[in-house]
Formats: sequence, C-alpha cells, structure tokens
Amino acid sequence: MSRRYALGLAAGLTLLPRAGSAAGTRVAVIDWAMLETVLAMGVVPVAATELLQFRKVAVEPAVPDRVIDLGLRGTPNYEALNLAEPDLILSSNYYEGQKPSLQRVAETLSLSIYTPGVPPYPAAVEAALTLGRRLGREAAARALVARTEEEIARLAGSLRGVAHRPVLAINIGDARHVRAFGTDSMFGDVLRRLGIANAWASDSSYSAAAPLGIEALARLPDAAVIVVPPVPPDALRALGDSALWQALPMVRDKRVTVIEPVNHFGGLPAALRFARLAATALLGQEGASHG
Amino acid sequence: MVERAAMNRILLWGGLALLAAGLSSLQVAGHLVPSAPSASVSPLDAIILSYSVLPRIAVALVGGAALGLSGLLLQRVLRNPLAEPSTLGVSAGAQLAMTMAAVFAPALMENAREGVALAGGLAVVALILAMTWRRGLEPVAVVLAGMMVALTATMASAALILANGEYLFSIFIWGGGSLSQQSWGPTLTIALRLAIGVAAAALLSRPLSILGLDDASARSLGVALNATRFGVIGVAVWLAASVTAEVGVIGFVGLAAPALAHLSGARTQGQKLIAAPLIGAVLLWLTDGLVQLLAGVDGERVPTGAATALLGGPLLLWLLPRLRMFEWPSLNSKPAPSRRSRRPGRLIGLFALLGAVAVALALTVGTGPDGWTVSTGPMLDRLLGWRGPRVAVAAAAGAMLAAAGMVLQRVTANPLASPEILGVGTGAGVGLTAALFLVAAPGIGIQIAASAIGAVAVLAAMLALSLRAGFGPERLLLAGIAMSALCSAVLTAVIATGTPQAFALLRWLSGSTNDSSPADAWFCAGAAAVLLAALPPMTRWLEILPLGDVTARSIGLPVRLCRIVLVLFAGVLTAAAALFVGPLSFVGLIAPHLARLTGLGRARGQGIAAVLIGAGLMVVSDWLARTVAFPYQLPLGLFASLLAGPYLIWLLSRSDARAG
Repeated sequence: MSRRYALGLAAGLTLLPRAGSAAGTRVAVIDWAMLETVLAMGVVPVAATELLQFRKVAVEPAVPDRVIDLGLRGTPNYEALNLAEPDLILSSNYYEGQKPSLQRVAETLSLSIYTPGVPPYPAAVEAALTLGRRLGREAAARALVARTEEEIARLAGSLRGVAHRPVLAINIGDARHVRAFGTDSMFGDVLRRLGIANAWASDSSYSAAAPLGIEALARLPDAAVIVVPPVPPDALRALGDSALWQALPMVRDKRVTVIEPVNHFGGLPAALRFARLAATALLGQEGASHG
Repeated sequence: MVERAAMNRILLWGGLALLAAGLSSLQVAGHLVPSAPSASVSPLDAIILSYSVLPRIAVALVGGAALGLSGLLLQRVLRNPLAEPSTLGVSAGAQLAMTMAAVFAPALMENAREGVALAGGLAVVALILAMTWRRGLEPVAVVLAGMMVALTATMASAALILANGEYLFSIFIWGGGSLSQQSWGPTLTIALRLAIGVAAAALLSRPLSILGLDDASARSLGVALNATRFGVIGVAVWLAASVTAEVGVIGFVGLAAPALAHLSGARTQGQKLIAAPLIGAVLLWLTDGLVQLLAGVDGERVPTGAATALLGGPLLLWLLPRLRMFEWPSLNSKPAPSRRSRRPGRLIGLFALLGAVAVALALTVGTGPDGWTVSTGPMLDRLLGWRGPRVAVAAAAGAMLAAAGMVLQRVTANPLASPEILGVGTGAGVGLTAALFLVAAPGIGIQIAASAIGAVAVLAAMLALSLRAGFGPERLLLAGIAMSALCSAVLTAVIATGTPQAFALLRWLSGSTNDSSPADAWFCAGAAAVLLAALPPMTRWLEILPLGDVTARSIGLPVRLCRIVLVLFAGVLTAAAALFVGPLSFVGLIAPHLARLTGLGRARGQGIAAVLIGAGLMVVSDWLARTVAFPYQLPLGLFASLLAGPYLIWLLSRSDARAG
C-alpha cells in the first residue's frame, strides 16, 4: 500500500491531475470483452486474464507485453492481482461467483453484454460508454462506438445486392459436432446489422455438452457457412473424408469459409473484427461462384 | 420354475430390444417420409439416412457389444466383478493420451487416433497390473489402483486442457460420449475389432473358464497362465480403446452388461460370451434411441455416454438386491494385516509435525512473476489474506474427508469404502444442484444443508440396499459405483444446460479453493472443529463394528443405532468438505489407508492420524495447484491423487511376508 501511495504522491506532484479525473486509474480486467473494449479506447490495463490465449483467440487489439497475466478467467490468481495493485477491476456477469473475492482486492465494475435471448450489440455499446465514463475516456468511447457503427454500415453497403443468402456462423467441435451462433450471439447480431439473415433463427446453441450433429446443417440447404475458429486439426481431416459433409449443399457449392480467429464472447472490437472477416468471406464466396 | 424364469428374462431383453428398434424406426421414418406432400425423398435425406442415421444405429450395436465383451473378458481374467474399461482406467488413459497428442503432437492425432488411444489405455492397464502384481492381482488392490490411476489421468487431462486454454468443447463432446455419426468408418472399425474379439474369446473359451479358478488349479490344468491372461487383457483393452477412440467415453456398459448377463441366468462360459455382448448392444441401442427421442431441434439434451449411466445405474441398483450370488472369489479376502506400531504416539506426533510444516510452507512460499519467493514481513501480511483462507479451507476439508473415509471403512468393514467411491461426494453435488435451481440465491447455510441431504440420502440408499443381504463388499461397491455414475450423470446433464447455475456447478466439480473467503475459512474450520470433536466418543463403536454384528451385539452395542448415527455423521462430514473442495479428492480413501498402513490400526490412533494426514495432503495439494503453473491454477484433486497415489500403491504392492 505504501509504495502505491508514494507513487501516487509523486505523480500528483508532477502532473497535478484535475480533481475527479480518473485518467490515471490502474485497471485490472477479468472479462475479455472488457479487455478488448478498454484496449480499443487506448487504456492499457495493469493486469488481465489468460493473455496467452487472448493473443491467439481474440488477436486484436494487441496487448502490450507489460500487462501482467492473471491466469485463467474462471480462477484468476488473486495474489498476482493483489500485487498488481489495481484501483478498479472490470468483470462481467460470467464471473459473479468471483465477485466477492475481486471486491476484496479493489472496487469491481461488472458489466453484462451477454444475456440469453437478447442480442448483445446494444449492451456492448452501453458497456463501452460506461467504461469511457468510468475511466475518463468518454471521447475515446464515443469514437469507438461511432467507428464501429460506421465501419459496419460501410461493410453492409458493400454486401448489399451481392450477398443474399442466409448465413450460418458455426464453431466446429469435432468431426461430428458443431455449435451454432444464434440471434443472441454477437456474431448473429452483427450479421443482422450487415443486412444478412442469420440462418440459425433460434438462440445460440453454445452448450458444449449437447451440441448439434453435422447433419443439422442439412436442414439449412440454402445457407452460406462461416466457420469461426478454433478448428481441431483432426476434425478438418475427418470432414474431408466424410461423405455426409461432402454431400451438404453448402460444402458441394463451396459456400463454407473458415475465417481468422475472433473472440466468441467479445465486445465492440470483436464485433467489428467479425464484421470485417465475415464480409470478406462472403464477398469471396460470391466472387468465386460468379467468377 | 427355473426355465420359466429364464424365459421371462429372455422376453425382457427381447422386449427392450424391440423398444429400441421402435425408437430407431422413428428416426429412419423421419428421413424416409418426404416433408412436403408433393416432394419425393430428397437426395440429401437419403444421404443423411445412409451416412448418419443408419451408421448411428449400427455403431450403438457394435459399440455396446464390444464394451460388453470387453467387460466380460476383463472380469473373467482378473476374477474381479468390478473390472471394466472405466474402472481399470482404459478410458481415462486413452483420454489422457489423446489430449496429450492433441496438445503436443497434433499430426499424430490426425493420423493415428486409435493407436494413440490404444497406447494410452494399454499403458494405464499395464501400470495397474504392474502395481498390483505382487499382490496376485487381488481385486481390491486392482480396483483401488485402477480408480486412482483413472482419476489422476482424468485430472491430468483436465489440467492440460485448462493450461492450454483450449475450450473444453471437443473434450466435452468426447467425454460425454456422443454416438452421432457421419460415415460407416467407426462402425466398420469397431465391428472388425469385435469380430476378432469374439473369435479370440471363443478360441480361449477353455483357458478362460479355467482362469476363473484360482492360479494353482489353473496351472495344474496346464494353462500357460500369464500368456493367456495378457492375451485376453490385450484383446479386451483393444476393444474398449477402439470404442473410446471412435465415439468417446461410454461408461457403465462394460460393467453392467456382464453383471446383467449373470443376473439374467447366463451361467456357463458360452452363455455369457453370447449374452454379455448382446445385452451391451441392447443397452446402448436403447439409450441412444431415448437420447434422440428427447433431442430438440437445437441439439441433444444429454450426451449418450451420460445417459447410459442414467439408465443403467437405476437398473443395476434395482437388480442388486435380487442378486443371489457372485461366482467370483469374494472381495472378502481382507488386505494383508499391516504391522502394528509399538509407539503410536510418536507416529501421530510426526504426522502433526509434517502437517505444521505443510501449513508453514503453503503460507510463506509461493511463485510470482519473478519466480519462487519466500514471503516475510509486510509482504507476508498482505498475502496472508489470500493464502490463509485457502490453507484453512484445504486443511479443514481434508481433515473432514479423511474422518468420513475412516468412519465409512470401519462401518462397512470395506477397505475401498470412501466418500469418493461410494458416490457420497457426487450425491452432495446433486443436493447442491437442487439448491441452486430451487432457491434464487442460496446462502451458505442452505447450500450446506442441501449438500448434506444429498450426501446422506446417497449413503442411506446404498446401505439400505446392501443391508438386505448383509454388508457384502462387492454389493456395496457395485451400488456405490452405480450411484456415483448416476449422480455424475445428473450433474453432466445439468451442466449441459449451460445456465449460470451450470457454470457454478462446473466450477464446484473442478474443485478449487481459489475463491475461499475469510468467511468460508471460518465456516469450514468451524464445521471441522465441531464435527471432529464428535469423533472421539464414537471410537469405541468404530473399534467394535468391524468385528462383526454378532460380536458387537454380544458386547451390548446397539448395532443398528450405531450404524445410523455413524452414517449420518460421515454424510455430514463429506457434504461440508465437498461443498468447499468439490467431490473428487481421493483424500477420504487414502488418508485412513496411510494411517493404517503405517501401523496405526486402532480406531483412535487411526482417526487422529487420518485427520492429520488428510489435512496435510490437502494443504500441500492446494499449494502445488497454486504454484506449479503460476499464474495459471490447476485442479486441486490432481495433486491430491498424484501425492497420495504412489505411496499407497507402493505399500499395496509390497509383498508382506505375513500376508499369507
């Protein structure tokens, strides 16, 4: 405590920040959607969870090396978190169980983006604006929201009249199972904003233990498919040999594209990243079928 | 009379098979009847029918048969009614090997999936046999070693997955055991192995029936004992590993099919070789039919592997009291009496000292961004707020589990009885589930009450079942394994719903003290203090009960009342501990064994030592879980079994000169 106090004192002497400003807040982040959002607003947290995977799975925004890794999201390392001396911890409704422990370290702000049955994009906008207010980055937050909205609108324009099939966003589990992203997923919501019908009309089927069989795709013969990584290597190979997979209309007509990795439960940056990747994939599919 | 009974049983299985066939024909009809009246059967429907629906029926049949045969062969050759692919760790070994391959050598996984699974399964079985060889593959030792190795392997796979952050999706599907198919490949693969297995079993029919006798008789009849044994085990493991590699973990069929064959009147070797695979096939076919019937448009609600336990568990529990006899040599052969220490006080002092060292280590030593550190002064003060509650919860939970294990082992006179193996921990989990779903935000009081009700209900059900014919050790363990499988299946099914409660349960199952608050620590330590204080007055009962009911009554002990009180006691202890550290720790099995094997045979000494060992083991495991992969945390149970396992195995495998 004393070290932090001394540092704060030194900073106060040199910078004399305006009263009430929170620009110097030391932030630790548990939830990845919050991590993306604060990074996109130019705030570098002191610590965040599962950075090894974040760099592989969410990819952008880039996480500077000086951010301390806190370990798994479900079991964050409280000793490391404590030593990082945050003023504010950002969490979400997924980590309600850890909230009492987090609050022992520092003030904890928990924001919900994902609620079963509710499209998450508006909640992600709301979360970005709330974070901006709390961290004294309101302008950056508004800019992020505007940038994301404009870019998605631009991509929607480029797809208009070109991509007219319903699109199914899936994640491949093994050679026999997929899970589908529905209207209450970020990907489903972004597809709608791109002016594309989501072929999976019901809520997300993201439950890991009871996934969809590959044959479920046969019920959506007109759909184009976007595969969101990770894709297990043995599944890819087995699918190549599978008569059923090869007979699916979307596979036969080459309407299946594997995109770059993107966070499945992300915030606005993930929404934008998915919009870009999906638009490129769909334009590529259309280009191939006409050219 | 006998003929009619046999006829009835055949009718029962025939009826079940008909039911399964009916369910399958529903699936087939779904793709044969065109959806629109004008349309004909679409080409895609035809492809789904021939590459998905039909292979799924076929794979259920051959997979079930292969598991049934595998279980039968293993039970026969090891003369162990509890031997099956999952109790011997075949599935867990295959899973670990496949997870390791997926993480470290993906190319291997792409090209030689079955080979990897087989290598893992064989390695685990070989390890178990090597460990128990010097005890003559005694069933108790084999099952003990098997559960130990299986649990460790499962935990190690979980740790690998967690540390690599690969989302649990594919391992979940695989661990749940889904029969969904998209080609005939798996069916053909398993069918080929099954044909080879059946041929081998038929050829080995005579040596097999001789292997059912004891070693001396078998040798005198001229059987090349070990060669035959290893040959049969190899075939059985191959069968199980190929099913595991192709469709995932399907528990229980290998255990239930041979037992059900026996109960259905199959007596001779030949009858069993026919009945067990057939019953296995019907079990899996029927279960998968029900799973598909209950599936909605958005996927199946329960994985088939979990559903086999949901269906098979109650079936076995219902049949157990109707069981007249097992023809296997009984588990009653007690483990070799261990030496008695002449200075129990000194041993207890030593354990207390080791426990204190463990606590001091866990409080002061840790890893940080700069590597290992020993914290002192202000830094220690700051970390104590985090380390203190963890250590306290771990110690108190370990102590309570050890005490519960000691009580259960003495009450049932069964060396394998423990909260983990009798399903008491998972029973507590089912109670906790009910609390989470019925009450909006259950407080700690409601949670502990619900867990305790679950734990005591499981214990009471099992004791009531086995009491009917006295405390037969096989029956009790079978009931325990069935109950455990049943409760785990309920938990798996609940977790599959993906609700917030499901995530809370998942976290509980993985067993972590990471979120222990000071309030938790006080509560857990308080519970341990209050409950363990009740142990000393009961030591007289615990001393006398293992001597048998007749002796106990002649001394004037109210046997029934004693049992009820002790069972309630063990249930509450387990529930209190499991609430904080999850159901899978193995400390309750190991700590009393370690205490007894070091020479503390009397109830009081064993009790105190077991509590100290349990606490110490749990504290060290928690410390390792916290530090080994810093900042990533590993499952607590992994280290509990890794620490305690080798020592127990070493003691078990020591051939004791005074054993015979």
